[in-house]
Amino acid sequence: MSKDYGRWKPIIGLEIHSELNTKSKLFSSAPNRFGDEPNTNITEVCTGQPGALPVLNKEAVRKAVQLGCAIDAQVCKFSKFDRKSYFYPDSPRNFQITQYDEPIVLGGTIIAEVEGEEKSFAVNRIHLEDDAGMLKHFSSFAGVDYNRAGVPLVEIVSEPCLHSPKEASAYAMMVRAILQYIDASDCNMEEGSLRFDANISVMHEDDKAFRNKIEIKNMNSFSNLELAVEMEIERQIELYENNPDTPQDELIAQATFRWDPEKKAPVLMRRKETADDYRYFPEPDLVPIVLTDAYIEEIRATLPELPLQRERRYISELNLPTDTAFLLASDKPLSDYFERGLTTCSNARSLANWLLMEFPGRLKEKGIVLHKSGITIENVAKLVNLIDAGTITGRIAKQVADDMVANLGRDCEEIVQSNPDYQPVSDTATIEPLVDQVLADNEQSIQDFLSGRKKAFAFLVGQVMKMTRGKASPDVVNELLKKKITEKAEK
Amino acid sequence: MSIHTLSAYELHKSFCKGELKAEQIIQAYLDRIERYNKDVGAFLRTFDEKALSQAKALDEKFARGEKVGRLAGVPIALKDNMHIKGELSTCGSKFLTNFNAPFDATVTRLLENEDAIILGKTNLDEFAMGSSTEMSALAQTHNPWDLSYSPGGSSGGSAAAVAARLCPIALGSDTGGSIRQPASFCGVCGYKPTYGRVSRFGLVAFGSSLDQIGPFATTTQDVAMVMEVLGQHCEKDSTSCTDPSYDFLSSIGTDIKGLKVGVPRHFIKGLKGEAKACFDKSLETLQDLGAELVDVDLEVLKYSIAIYYILATAEASTNLARFDGVRYGVRSESAQTLDDVYDLSKQEGFGPEVKRRILLGTFVLSAGYQDAYYKKAQKVRTLLIRKYQEAFKKCDVVATPVTPDSAFKSGSIKDPLEMYFEDMYTIGVNLAGLPGISVPAGFINGGKPYGLQIVGPQKADVAVCQTAYAFEKATACADKIPEQFKK
Repeated sequence: MSKDYGRWKPIIGLEIHSELNTKSKLFSSAPNRFGDEPNTNITEVCTGQPGALPVLNKEAVRKAVQLGCAIDAQVCKFSKFDRKSYFYPDSPRNFQITQYDEPIVLGGTIIAEVEGEEKSFAVNRIHLEDDAGMLKHFSSFAGVDYNRAGVPLVEIVSEPCLHSPKEASAYAMMVRAILQYIDASDCNMEEGSLRFDANISVMHEDDKAFRNKIEIKNMNSFSNLELAVEMEIERQIELYENNPDTPQDELIAQATFRWDPEKKAPVLMRRKETADDYRYFPEPDLVPIVLTDAYIEEIRATLPELPLQRERRYISELNLPTDTAFLLASDKPLSDYFERGLTTCSNARSLANWLLMEFPGRLKEKGIVLHKSGITIENVAKLVNLIDAGTITGRIAKQVADDMVANLGRDCEEIVQSNPDYQPVSDTATIEPLVDQVLADNEQSIQDFLSGRKKAFAFLVGQVMKMTRGKASPDVVNELLKKKITEKAEK
Repeated sequence: MSIHTLSAYELHKSFCKGELKAEQIIQAYLDRIERYNKDVGAFLRTFDEKALSQAKALDEKFARGEKVGRLAGVPIALKDNMHIKGELSTCGSKFLTNFNAPFDATVTRLLENEDAIILGKTNLDEFAMGSSTEMSALAQTHNPWDLSYSPGGSSGGSAAAVAARLCPIALGSDTGGSIRQPASFCGVCGYKPTYGRVSRFGLVAFGSSLDQIGPFATTTQDVAMVMEVLGQHCEKDSTSCTDPSYDFLSSIGTDIKGLKVGVPRHFIKGLKGEAKACFDKSLETLQDLGAELVDVDLEVLKYSIAIYYILATAEASTNLARFDGVRYGVRSESAQTLDDVYDLSKQEGFGPEVKRRILLGTFVLSAGYQDAYYKKAQKVRTLLIRKYQEAFKKCDVVATPVTPDSAFKSGSIKDPLEMYFEDMYTIGVNLAGLPGISVPAGFINGGKPYGLQIVGPQKADVAVCQTAYAFEKATACADKIPEQFKK
């Protein structure tokens, strides 16, 4: 359940920056690629050489339009770029080229699952802009890597319509999912291709207007986002409640913080009174973006399946529980992995469970995700099939999964075959004496079961399984137990 | 035959006929530069060896019977704010005295593709900000007609170089009159094309929505020849005109009978003395050629200086923000911190006019002032464009003076505002993105050249050159050479 803030209501707006996965940069032909030697993916445009001119990348425009269509927003037939002036060494021209008052996309809706409930969140706008370079600090100097300078970004600005940290992360997850589904961004948070800035304030139930907001920049994981927002909400509520007589503006003055992922704490960047005047004005080196209806409609008509559609398909066609369907569908790579598994495994529910719960839990320590771990979906599907066929028990399956994680890439059937402990015991002759012994030792449970308590039966099954270290075939155990109890009762 | 008395067109023809070798031509001009540049101060540097070796290579190419380019045999100078890869582009600024261009400007590429040979780079007001070339931090340029007079600016080096016949063609850039005003002062043709006709890629920006590269030459025919080469669509400049190149040369010879020439009489009512007499005589000449004069209302142009110094400086303040001492240019040696690098590098690297314009531009864009200045100026600019469009419904071209008077004495204008008024007749053309030419119209005030400006609607570049060509033929003062530089 989400936290109760009493008479307070958190007001959260998110600005999500996502690097588009175009081949070249937003205004130059330099490759848009992460991780190369510093200052190798640059042209005269990326380093702001005098005489260089920006030329707009059409692929970036197309991706922004796809995003607009995907969230059912208004794609503007006329939009333009503006110069945003500020001095910093990572900014090669000392102005950023962004879209200030006429962005390419207006409005739109993000529908996301929050704790089992489907909610709609309003997007204010989406605009295109270029990323800055990166400063690197060395012992006696700082250097700038302009490889990232000019990488196309979309900034997706929500309305202040998110009211809990969970809503914020669910919204952000769905934005990531949409970006991945339309193949607009890799959304690799470690590489910074998806970054969150949050504007946070709290509203008392008696308030008529918003209070001052605090901006926290550069959170690069969903858990950091939730944590940072939660901490800030609590800090604000506590300050207001503990200082009822101090003017609100003094308690929370508008300010910007930077999230420090190491310290897991916000660090103050600047207060509002020293905020920059960016002196926006139209970029004279670029012509406005003018789009035709035909262009927009062609993009709308050729949109791929979107996460919400896939989620609904999982519910209606695969009978997955809502939250399972959401969790899977909102993680595109995992969901694609899942879909490949469905070609050889028909137990979607069980497969989903292994993908969402069992394997992620085991892989967490290694810090890797399942679909990139080397464990193939074919193997996971085999594992589910082995259980369903009764070849192994659920309990053995968990041990097999442990082995699959310990030896990434190893075939699961081979794991089962090569380990005698994983051979299930299904012959009645072996199991029957154990069943007899369990029944003899647990007279009370038999009575409980006969008087209608189903749990008692499960307990008895568990006792048999324990004695076989989980290897007994549950079907055989069930059958024998039922038979023997019935016999006993009839006596 | 003296090489320096030939036009670029004639040089090219002579080269193509085998009458002149490229090496001969280049050597002749390098000799003249050697002899005269110390007096004129037009060139900041020349590429003697490179130019001569290119000339030799061209001669060999010609000797082999290979096809040569449309500018083969033509020496050209570039204003020092256009890039030649590996060569300095100082922009007349201390700040860029160590800046070697990392790439070729589109104009450089186009010229070299057509076998033009670049002789050197010419002086300018720092970052093209000025109307006298006195704001150059590197050299002083003098008017070849009277060395104690200003050549005008900001492309003063290019204008003076052509006037003194140190080269037959030089490129300038024109943001508010920086080609036309020095052309008028130096008695040569100076052409500012339609905005977007010549690529700005590789031109160090001053006011991006106004900047335009164009040629200086001794004849309109030479202007036409160069414009056929330079006026190409360029994919590296998003504001580049997508039209195919215009056919200048074959059109300029046609007469101008029946051409309607608009004269904004009310706007130019302040014109006085010999300047007015010269302008009136120019109008008569046009009438004699069969043109019909019509009155047009361009009263709105009286706002052009005000809006220009808001819009151009706004753009400049951001265009010049990159000169911070971090990536290139001269970093202040006394800088200790990042803020020092910014503050001191600019403080030491920029001259007073550049600082003034950066401050002005920063101010007009600031929160709280932007509506009153930048945004209002944009509105007036839109109005001005509309007024021009209305005027061009009544006429084919508009004729005005280029400058309020002929060249002034060097150092005589101390008040920046007074200097800004030098461009009162030229700025509107940039604000509306129109083609405009300054063509020599006569000599006034004791032998000082004075030009006529002919302005056309957007993309009517050919009509402008055609009118200028007819006018030039009738006045015959374009091929006059200052006494001192005749030999």
